[in-house]
Amino acid sequence: MSEAKSKGSASQANRRLDGKRCLITGGSRGLGLAIAKACASQGAKIAFTFNSNRDDAAAAKASLVELGCEPLVFQGSVADAAHVKETVAELTKAWGGIDVLVNNAGTTQILPIALLEEADWDTVMDVNVKGAYLYSRAVLRSMIRARGGHILNIGSFASERVIEAPVHYAAAKSALRGLTEALAREVGRYNIKVNLLSPGLLDVGLAQMLPKHRITEYLSQVSLGRLGTAREVAEIAAFLVSDDNSFMAAAKIVADGGL
Amino acid sequence: MGVASVPDRLLHTTTSLCRTCKEAVPAEVVAQAGGVWMRKTCPQHGAQEVRLSTDAGWYERTRAERQHRVPPRVIKKEVDHGCPFDCGPCTSHTQKVRLPVVTITSACNLDCPICYVHNKNDDAFHMPVEDFQLILDHLRTDHGGELDIINLTGGEPTMHPRLFDMLAMANAAGIHRVTVCSNGIRLAKDEAYVERLAQLGARIALSFDTFDPHADKLLQGANMLATKLRCMELCEKHGVDVTLIPVMTRGVNEHEVGKILEFALQHESVRHVEVHTMTFTGQSGVTFQRSGRISMLEVLEEIDRRTSGLLTPSDFVSSPCAHPLCYQIAYLLVDPSGPPIPFTRFMPAGELRDALSDRLYLEPTARLEASLAAAIDRLWLDSDDNPEAARTLRLLRGLLETMFPSDRPLSRQAAMRAGERAIKAVYVHSHMDEETFDTERAVDCCDSNCYADGSTVPVCNYNVLYRETEARFTVKPAQWGSRSGGQRTFNLPVLR
Repeated sequence: MSEAKSKGSASQANRRLDGKRCLITGGSRGLGLAIAKACASQGAKIAFTFNSNRDDAAAAKASLVELGCEPLVFQGSVADAAHVKETVAELTKAWGGIDVLVNNAGTTQILPIALLEEADWDTVMDVNVKGAYLYSRAVLRSMIRARGGHILNIGSFASERVIEAPVHYAAAKSALRGLTEALAREVGRYNIKVNLLSPGLLDVGLAQMLPKHRITEYLSQVSLGRLGTAREVAEIAAFLVSDDNSFMAAAKIVADGGL
Repeated sequence: MGVASVPDRLLHTTTSLCRTCKEAVPAEVVAQAGGVWMRKTCPQHGAQEVRLSTDAGWYERTRAERQHRVPPRVIKKEVDHGCPFDCGPCTSHTQKVRLPVVTITSACNLDCPICYVHNKNDDAFHMPVEDFQLILDHLRTDHGGELDIINLTGGEPTMHPRLFDMLAMANAAGIHRVTVCSNGIRLAKDEAYVERLAQLGARIALSFDTFDPHADKLLQGANMLATKLRCMELCEKHGVDVTLIPVMTRGVNEHEVGKILEFALQHESVRHVEVHTMTFTGQSGVTFQRSGRISMLEVLEEIDRRTSGLLTPSDFVSSPCAHPLCYQIAYLLVDPSGPPIPFTRFMPAGELRDALSDRLYLEPTARLEASLAAAIDRLWLDSDDNPEAARTLRLLRGLLETMFPSDRPLSRQAAMRAGERAIKAVYVHSHMDEETFDTERAVDCCDSNCYADGSTVPVCNYNVLYRETEARFTVKPAQWGSRSGGQRTFNLPVLR
């Protein structure tokens, strides 16, 4: 679907996120940006965070502005509690609350266990798991007061399948499953739906730099025989954080083309 | 000359060429007094002998190494006259083209005494870009749509008025590495030219024979060192990858091989050093003093001696993609704070050779990945008590972090390029001339000169026989008939 077409659809029927206040972590590129754009196209207000690359963030902001959105942008590490507190405080002040949190920020390193040092483990756990915990906890007060909201954690096929994956990354994404299930159970009474969306390899991110033989081997195991697109997964994400999703909580959705 | 008192031992027979008339002649390769000699007799020009190696044991072991043969998809010629007179490739050729060489111009701005090709500056030939596109199309067909490398040569390719267009076309064809042979003159004079080469991702294969002015004069016919150094300075500045190509000549510059390797290690832009052994063919090389002949093993031993064991002969493996006597290859992990580490110090030589089975140059294939994973595990087991194992692990980790940075994904091409910057390779390539010509090696050749009609000629065959018959490269093209005494009507089978 072209940008123009999606822009057109946003102004007409398909605005299932109209007016929803969405915060997406790690939204300056890749899947995070695609989710931001999908939500913006469906009428959401967008805020996103990024860690280091200002150029990417500026380009992401410009692409969201093109969709008629006025995104709020925050720089910082999701593992930095002060940054998280400040970001949520500023957003709450600006918007009055937050309806949707997408815990998308993540990191990985291509390292075998022999090279995986304690510091590597801590970094990957901090960004992928602690970041999701910090942001979820920070937005929950606003959601509980509002008696509703969506938290969507972005997992990975690395924790769903027995495949070659960096141990710390797979462990971190598996931790998000537990976080999703327990948190969904705890805050479900406030009509807050916490879900996990685990994509397979996509046309953005890791797949771009993997050696060709790795991609060929991977695709030979995928029922649909191709990589997913960021846009496809972003559309699923946009549904999951919308009010059209009225009954899915603690769900673990895998979008990997049938691996 | 062999030692008469020691009996000869026949190693194999083959077909060679007469050094005078280039007529095909049967030849014997024999071990004598530890060395290896090729002997043959031309009915017209008499008995001839040339030493191929100083060590019969090394020659036999190397020659016996298993090859990974992948024949060309397209055969252009039936065997009529016999190797090497049916090139195209012919039905007897065993290897597809792994290193396509495209001669884009006959013009050259040097007249090197070691030049092994024929050039023509008056009414110079410049390959039309349309022909170049046809060559790319043929190569992609032969390689199933993907090519590791292409080499543009001449003459001096920078004298081609549309070189940049050709580089862009090669990039558009998705070729992983596009190399351009050069003497460096144009680059040293024109920084904007170097910048443009950088933008196009070209790799310069820079002839670099010596640091010694006297040797420079002997080999290149001029004092080129300042030009080469300026060229290197600009390539470093603008991030143009470089392959250094020194031609090793006994008694002239072989003692400099260590210094050249050290120079390569000091320059981030240098990806490979490709050492050629002197060949006595072409417009100038054919008359160069024969005392300069040096064998493959002698170069490896000289590298060992001149680098104080940094690289020993056992750190090299033969290429499985070519005849094992043609290429010897070593890869090194670069350590910014210490000496480089040859791959064979942490990986069995057989595994390095296997990793080179499908390609002339290392690429991140499944075989290489499996070998590196196994090496990392082995090193890890030793790393607590073995500082060298710990250093190697640190460098391998650096290699992974370079290729797969966690802060942003690189494209596959950029990842490979980044990985190449963390390693260096040393290739020793032994070309043949009419004296050392061996059809056993020629039929296994994976380096070929490519034509617009899709035909390909192995580079040694091309340099020794074919190029001088083309009017675009020589004022007076040679005629095979003048050497054979008339039209060939007999077959010359490849003798094994």
